[in-house]
Amino acid sequence: MSSTGGLTGPIERLVQTHASRMAAVVIAVVIAFLWVPIGVLVFMSFADGGVLSFPPDELTLRWYRVFLSNDAAMDAIVTTLTISVPATAISVLLSTMIAYAVNRYVFPGRNWLQLLATLPIVVPLVVTGVAMVLFFNGTLGLSGYVSVVIAHVVRTIPFATLVILPTLLTFDRGLEEASKDLGADELQTFRQVTLPNIFPGIVAGGLLAFTLSFNEFVYTYFVKGSGDPTLPVYIWNQIRYNVTPEVNVISVVFLLLAVSLVLLAVSLTRVELLARR
Amino acid sequence: MAEQSGASVGPEDDDDATRSGAADTGGGLGAVSAFFRERPRLRTLAVAGPPYGVLILFFAIPLLAMLVVSFQTGEIGGAWTLSNYTDFLGSDTYLTVVWKTLLVSLQVTAIVATIGYALAYSIVRFSRRTTLLLLLVILPFWTSYIIRMYAWINILQSDGVLDSTLNMLGLPAVSLLYSEPAVLIGFTYVWLPLAVLPFYASLTNLDGDLIEASKDLGAGPIRTFTSVTLPMTINGVITGVVLVFIPTFGSFITPRLLGGTNNIMIGMVIENQFKSAFNWPFGAAIGMVISVVVVALLVLGTRLGGGLLATGGEEA
Repeated sequence: MSSTGGLTGPIERLVQTHASRMAAVVIAVVIAFLWVPIGVLVFMSFADGGVLSFPPDELTLRWYRVFLSNDAAMDAIVTTLTISVPATAISVLLSTMIAYAVNRYVFPGRNWLQLLATLPIVVPLVVTGVAMVLFFNGTLGLSGYVSVVIAHVVRTIPFATLVILPTLLTFDRGLEEASKDLGADELQTFRQVTLPNIFPGIVAGGLLAFTLSFNEFVYTYFVKGSGDPTLPVYIWNQIRYNVTPEVNVISVVFLLLAVSLVLLAVSLTRVELLARR
Repeated sequence: MAEQSGASVGPEDDDDATRSGAADTGGGLGAVSAFFRERPRLRTLAVAGPPYGVLILFFAIPLLAMLVVSFQTGEIGGAWTLSNYTDFLGSDTYLTVVWKTLLVSLQVTAIVATIGYALAYSIVRFSRRTTLLLLLVILPFWTSYIIRMYAWINILQSDGVLDSTLNMLGLPAVSLLYSEPAVLIGFTYVWLPLAVLPFYASLTNLDGDLIEASKDLGAGPIRTFTSVTLPMTINGVITGVVLVFIPTFGSFITPRLLGGTNNIMIGMVIENQFKSAFNWPFGAAIGMVISVVVVALLVLGTRLGGGLLATGGEEA
């Protein structure tokens, strides 16, 4: 607490003495900002009463029961899964091919491939969503389901690639050399040496792709046509037209799913990898 | 799942490796392998081709198709026209929306950059539990965007969590929902984790000796920050800024759910053209205008040194 000015300015002195305390405050305040809304959702999911009000009169599991017996919400979950599961599988396959090609081969257009695999992150979602609905539904005449799966593949490829690529970069190439010296060809080496070694990264990339696809809204919203809503689209409609406390429950289910999948992904790779964009 | 097959690299396939590999999958693979070994370009094509094809066909070509449609009259396949662009760029209403979107995006970017940098700096330089803290920061990012907005509706609406808390403290209610502050809060909330990551990466890579040197030479903490830390991490800052600005500029969810009718942003206009007005070519033209702005900013960001489109594994 001593802030007697020396040769440096008083502000500099103040910052110097209290730097670590200021950092602790910043960390605490910002993390509270990030987590309080999530805590509110969880809390409100137990609130009684048909309208949203705070604080709730009493706590109840009623809206969980409503949610579980709500066919529309359950159908939305099934619809979401029938899109996310195949989209994730395709996305992981393509992302692994991108990572392998970019890392192991030199070919014309290699930088373009990397750029193409990064751009879907960068172009605003609404722009790509619009472009996709024009081309898939308008020009190609694809069905809503196929369009949505393709859209989810494009959406998740950049993230899966960014997780898988570093595991290829960091894995000891000597093992592959050894395998080839022992007479294995490239395909065998990939299956028996490379793949098992990068498998945690592939699973992590897949989990993140799935999380992203399960949560995906903008592309789905534009491309899906009038087909069955996915869960995010269902929630969007609920929020916009008739909010019930059930939305809080769905949110909590979503949160638990996302948090557990991401934690699983983190346990398979380094936390910084999820960070790469 | 495949973990067990990886531990031992197969002492069983020594000499007749190719044969045994082919045999256990019913033949063919060894032959395929040999075929590709003699044709490396074909092999590269087999690996790089499919993802390349998918991204070109389903990402690049749709964007080009949007460009084409934006020059057509009221419907797809209509006559060629410039009217979508002239209507848009000649309308004060739309230009005001673009201007307002720009202002909101700049404010959001400034707020997120300031808070995000302070947070990343605090974690990197003053905390030992960096992994846990980083996880706490990025986990909310992986939850559904719409649900995160819905959480804020719970908080900001009149008689919501915020107002009730203020009441309990004897303060007047603020009823922030459907106001510009609500939009700024919502955007800050969704993008903060995204911006912290490049800030964090660049601060982690900063050589601590440089800071010591600066202090040894007599600079105070603020001087050290402005003349060493910030310039040395500017690439990460630019990356984070671009990552926040671009999605904000194109967003329609946050302004629709939190902003109400007084806070229209350009993404909402596009959504309207596709979902209510059904004037797809006009929506496509606005999409092109947004894309031009975004590409210009990306090029600027890359020129200034942002690592957003940096290839390979390195982050800024």
